[in-house]
Amino acid sequence: MSHAYRAVGWNRQKKVYDRILTLGVILFLGLFMGVGALLRPNATAETLMIRGFGAAAFLLLHVILSIGPLCRLDPRFLPLLYNRRHMGVTMFILAALHGLLSLIQFHGFGDVHPLVSLFTASDSYGSLAWFPFQPLGFGALVILFLMAATSHDFWLANLGAPVWKALHMSVYFAYALLIGHVSLGVLQAETSPWLALPVALGLAWVLGLHLVAAGTEARLDRDVEGVEFEGLVDVCAVHDIKDKRARIVCLDGERVAIFRYDGKISAVSNACQHQNGPLGEGRVIDGCITCPWHGYQYEPHNGSSPPPFTEKVPTFDVRIRQGRVLVNPDANAPGTEVSPALIDFADKGAPDA
Amino acid sequence: MPESDSNEFYVGYHPTAPLGVARRTRSFVIAALLCTVGLALVLAKGFGPLPRATFEFGSLRTFEGTISTTPYPALHVPRPGVIDGAPWTSRYHIVAPFKFGADAAVAEFDGKHVRLKGTLVHRDGRTMIELVPESLEEIPGLALSPEGPQSLGEHSLIGEIVDSKCFLGVMNPGNLKPHRACAVRCISGGIPPVLCVRDTDGRAEYFLLVGENGEPMNKAVLDYVALPLEITGEVERLGDQLILRASAESFRIL
Repeated sequence: MSHAYRAVGWNRQKKVYDRILTLGVILFLGLFMGVGALLRPNATAETLMIRGFGAAAFLLLHVILSIGPLCRLDPRFLPLLYNRRHMGVTMFILAALHGLLSLIQFHGFGDVHPLVSLFTASDSYGSLAWFPFQPLGFGALVILFLMAATSHDFWLANLGAPVWKALHMSVYFAYALLIGHVSLGVLQAETSPWLALPVALGLAWVLGLHLVAAGTEARLDRDVEGVEFEGLVDVCAVHDIKDKRARIVCLDGERVAIFRYDGKISAVSNACQHQNGPLGEGRVIDGCITCPWHGYQYEPHNGSSPPPFTEKVPTFDVRIRQGRVLVNPDANAPGTEVSPALIDFADKGAPDA
Repeated sequence: MPESDSNEFYVGYHPTAPLGVARRTRSFVIAALLCTVGLALVLAKGFGPLPRATFEFGSLRTFEGTISTTPYPALHVPRPGVIDGAPWTSRYHIVAPFKFGADAAVAEFDGKHVRLKGTLVHRDGRTMIELVPESLEEIPGLALSPEGPQSLGEHSLIGEIVDSKCFLGVMNPGNLKPHRACAVRCISGGIPPVLCVRDTDGRAEYFLLVGENGEPMNKAVLDYVALPLEITGEVERLGDQLILRASAESFRIL
């Protein structure tokens, strides 16, 4: 966490992450271009670079799109998510190199401006087979640029989480454009299954992974059908919640994370204010709920980040009655202090810490 | 939601990752790097072979010969040791740097004996010169009178329109859909369009495209570049080159 903006908030984990990322990119480009040059000695350097940068960016986009659902399905992938934005910026740089070289190579040094040529050199927009594929890549690159340019927390704070999140969800639109760019471009000229098959498998992987993760998420979004007592809903037994962990329930369409810690129960919104990370999959560290995505922290009793940080999430009134946890489905304003429910010895049930 | 069996919890800004998390992540990273190697090899193998087509970039040569400007600028150079019946001049098309034809540069030298500098572009025995425009100068010597066209009759040919400069070697590959926009740009800028026709063994023959009256037809072919086409027209032999005279109305997209 940080309360002041710096260009890049380096720490040891990020440095390790970036070194491995750089190694992977260099390995891919070196092998792709090196083997490509050996197999096709007549290939020019610019052709190898255009193909290499494009393939590397497309592959990295698949990795980036996989990280989210993988983490939803298995928290062991969370270390990949922590510094995903650096992977996104790296992917954009590779895509931009591919785009820039292609623009110069195919549209530059001619009788019209390269950007005009990009959209007018071929006007077969009514034909699927001859649809101009390069404008599709350009559209994707614009989206990836906007995402890379606003990836810093400064923009998240200033655009607001909903706008920022919506902007960054457009990566799926960019991916669709790139599937079109590749399918209507290189795959129409290169008919080898060694190219078409990885593209098809990549698309199936991304779609399949998202569908499975969405199915898991959908189960979370079923409203708890607990008995109501004085306006509060019976959501679970105290012993259903592990110590310093949470149980996530859905109340009136909103996910609520109910934490058990230090002999108390508190409930907050499940969505971290930073990037909507699932707080209920985090844990209580040093007395604070800690988001599993980027480690943003909130005090359980008031949903506020400890000073000097200023993030706040909504809280919920909570009570314990006969070993059962009762939660008021009406959220309090973000940062509202709520007295934690105290766990009596009789409420604990089976030892589960 | 699934949870790790252990009590370990990864926080990115902590100095080190918990032992179990670090061990699992290390295994994943090794697997991911191995996948990267595999995918790089598979994708590198996936692209098709590239023909031997050469642009002698950075290597300037000096040429002497006679300029003709129609239908497209060319330099005629006497062939040594001509066999009876064979063309006695070689005809090298001349283009300007980048994506432009050399019409403007050679306009005042039509029919004149000249010396020029340029870079060779060649493929399958076809040669083109990318002119250094300021090097063009008239020199003393007898201007050649190149052969006239010889009709080979009307034919319908199936092939792909490409820009001669890229296809002969400035880009490789210089045809098919990924190159379409570049070919459009080059032909629009004055590079001679050619119809590339392949026989069943994949060997290519090139037909310089001109209009019915022998005029350049750069603008008329732009909508047909890189598409599979059938063109019907009169085939002529002009020196060592084949020319296809046709109207754009005869172009049929296959």
